[in-house]
Amino acid sequence: MEGRGVKPTSDRSREFESLAMPLLDPLYNFARWLTYDPTEAEDLVQETFAKALRGFDSFTPGTDFRAWMFRILRNTFLTSRTGLQARLTVPLDPEDEVSATVTWETPETLVLASATREALQDALEALPPAYREVIVLCDVEEMKYAEIAEVLQVPIGTVMSRLARGRKLLRQALAGKRVLGVAGKLKNR
Amino acid sequence: MSCTDWQSRLEAYVDAELSQQERQKFLAHAAQCPECATATLALAEAKRAIRRAGQRFTATAQLRERVQANARQTDEVKTRKPHPPRLLQWPRWAMAAAAVVLLAAGLFFVSGRYHKANSLAEFADLHVANLASANPVEVVSSDKHTVKPWFQGRVPFTFDLPELQGSLFTLTGGRVTYFHQEPGAQLIFAYQRHMISAFIFRDTPQLAISQTSFSDRSTSFNLETWTQDGLRYVLVSDVNDETLSQLARLLQKR
Repeated sequence: MEGRGVKPTSDRSREFESLAMPLLDPLYNFARWLTYDPTEAEDLVQETFAKALRGFDSFTPGTDFRAWMFRILRNTFLTSRTGLQARLTVPLDPEDEVSATVTWETPETLVLASATREALQDALEALPPAYREVIVLCDVEEMKYAEIAEVLQVPIGTVMSRLARGRKLLRQALAGKRVLGVAGKLKNR
Repeated sequence: MSCTDWQSRLEAYVDAELSQQERQKFLAHAAQCPECATATLALAEAKRAIRRAGQRFTATAQLRERVQANARQTDEVKTRKPHPPRLLQWPRWAMAAAAVVLLAAGLFFVSGRYHKANSLAEFADLHVANLASANPVEVVSSDKHTVKPWFQGRVPFTFDLPELQGSLFTLTGGRVTYFHQEPGAQLIFAYQRHMISAFIFRDTPQLAISQTSFSDRSTSFNLETWTQDGLRYVLVSDVNDETLSQLARLLQKR
């Protein structure tokens, strides 16, 4: 069993560190968006790093390390208690429905664009997890569709339809809030 | 393609997922079609707003230390025992992390320079992290008359770009970046095959930089920094300090 590794382990772990540490903030941010809980997010990140280090030998050099790390974090989350609850709300993918009915409500989009940071954060929090995560990966982490597909382990088409639908929900939520105006604000507090 | 066909591709355009060819076709269409152009603009603004709202949480210093200490400890145990250790050996690594935190705090108080050097080192991190991201530049252009206006409304200040004609530097593009929750501009210059980041931020006290240059021996990055017109400039690259100073002079002269 001993002497199995090709390289001394410390070299490997240093390599891991140099690749993984720059991802700490993005991973933590993502973890917070998944869990909403600072302690849970920290545990999740720590577990992710530990799992990733142990499994680092199975990572193929030259492939997307960021996607690999995010995938581990997300899978770890899905098997946690909060994650299991979230999983129940993952929607069926109404791909055809979405692509057939996409309509551009530019005014709504503009409402979203001019919303305050807080209002947007609230709306993002209120989204079903499956939409929230795809929006965070695409708009905040600026991942490519293909990379997101790798993180979520779904086809690219699913990424696109969830993204379209999630953004639509977000626009509607914010446009609705504006109509509600004061009433909406009161309800929030 | 007609307008209705493009409608379903607008998001892909904004997400930079169209092929070069498709992109050009779309741009030609948008030039003729105010409706698609407006919708695209709105979508791009919305994406940017979501990005700002979504960049919400950063890991605490404690978590950073813990993750690092954990990785090292896991490693240590791994070399001693044939089997990987049990995950999260709380007391031991917690103690190690506490020691590291105490040590860091001590250093912090003993020397103010620690913080300053650290602040500059963070720029080196930013440089590496941004270059490693999937789209290191948001505005891809070597034309300063394209790059400068792009930052309008994206960063809360304006700046001038140097004349690079006749120098060995070329402008590759730029992006918006954040440092201590403050938006700033990152310009990316190429020098031979090296990349140089020029960070420009408002010179707020929280930047707390007093040195003018700094080289991180552990990572061999060179940094050079100065203020001009109320803005803080930080150059980061793996080129030597002589070359970095050349670019600094170009930026100062403008």
